[in-house]
Amino acid sequence: MNKTAAIRAIIGATETRPIVFTGGSASAIAQDLSDLPNHFYLNGPLGLASSIGIGVAMETQRTTVVVDGDGSLLMNPVGLITAGTLTSLPIVHIVLDDGVYAFTGGEAIPSRRADLCALARAAGYRRVFSTAKLDEFSALLRSQLVSCSTPVFIRCALIGGDYATPDRLSTDLENHARRFYRHISDPVWLARSA
Amino acid sequence: MTAFVKDVDVATKLCQELVAADFGPFFGTPCRSLTPLHAALHGQVGILTVAREENAIGIAAGTSLAGRCPVVLMENPGIGQCVNAIASLVVPYRIPMLLIVGLNELSQEPAQEAKIMGRLTGQLLEGLGIESTELDPVEPVEAQVERVNTIVQRRLQPAALLVPPATFGGRA
Repeated sequence: MNKTAAIRAIIGATETRPIVFTGGSASAIAQDLSDLPNHFYLNGPLGLASSIGIGVAMETQRTTVVVDGDGSLLMNPVGLITAGTLTSLPIVHIVLDDGVYAFTGGEAIPSRRADLCALARAAGYRRVFSTAKLDEFSALLRSQLVSCSTPVFIRCALIGGDYATPDRLSTDLENHARRFYRHISDPVWLARSA
Repeated sequence: MTAFVKDVDVATKLCQELVAADFGPFFGTPCRSLTPLHAALHGQVGILTVAREENAIGIAAGTSLAGRCPVVLMENPGIGQCVNAIASLVVPYRIPMLLIVGLNELSQEPAQEAKIMGRLTGQLLEGLGIESTELDPVEPVEAQVERVNTIVQRRLQPAALLVPPATFGGRA
């Protein structure tokens, strides 16, 4: 699967649950595929998607999905360490592992010998998965979303390029934050998703 | 019976006023001059210790997006660790939160390694567009919390409360 296929599967499986997308191509692809109010797109700080997701999950107590990259995870693994200590946090942390910094020109990520799943286990994640098959990933994600009561880590090994994505998010960031706030604080959504 | 009633200390009073003003949740990174406040928060409402300042900012941002009014405790060198998180997340997305920054090195003879960050703390906050005010141990704490509350919870902007060394009576 390539990154676009993986993100399409994530959006389809996640439904109205909050999703925090890491900056760069993941946010741009998601916005291009389907721009929904449960999406929070990062446009700047690489390495903070999981931290923001932790905060959302802590506060809403609703399953929150983080779409991270291997580059952004390695830029700041403290979010992984923190989530690993919060054993009842409902968070699904997906790492789209393509081995390159896709958004900045495809430089190789220095992770050739790193085992991201082992890192997640060592951080305290109890449910850790790795897959390279789209149908397997989609089924796995749906099953984990239904019963998420502890941090889940899913590594998606990506193969193949993506179509050209927009360089930047086409959204005003302040308005974007307000839209996400309105969604995750909506009493109707909170009641339905309890 | 005790012949006198000891004043409530500044850290405990600040903790009480922050909680009363609906600030929270609280996140903290290690800071020796904020230890009494950290302890007071831990005892009253709980505080999550995070290993790195920019991650504390990120987690706080998530709770703020969910409608809370989070507080992040850090020492002033931590501002250097989270410049990009503030500049490219907190400010442009306009995510309200309160930073409580312990000023560890304002003495006339600061440690060599702390001189530059001590000098830059105010400049960085100003350059980032974060309104900041210094905690005055003489002025009533309620009034000072009300001032930052106006910025954070009414104007929905981030703000910083700077805590000079030894304000809480701990090591500076």
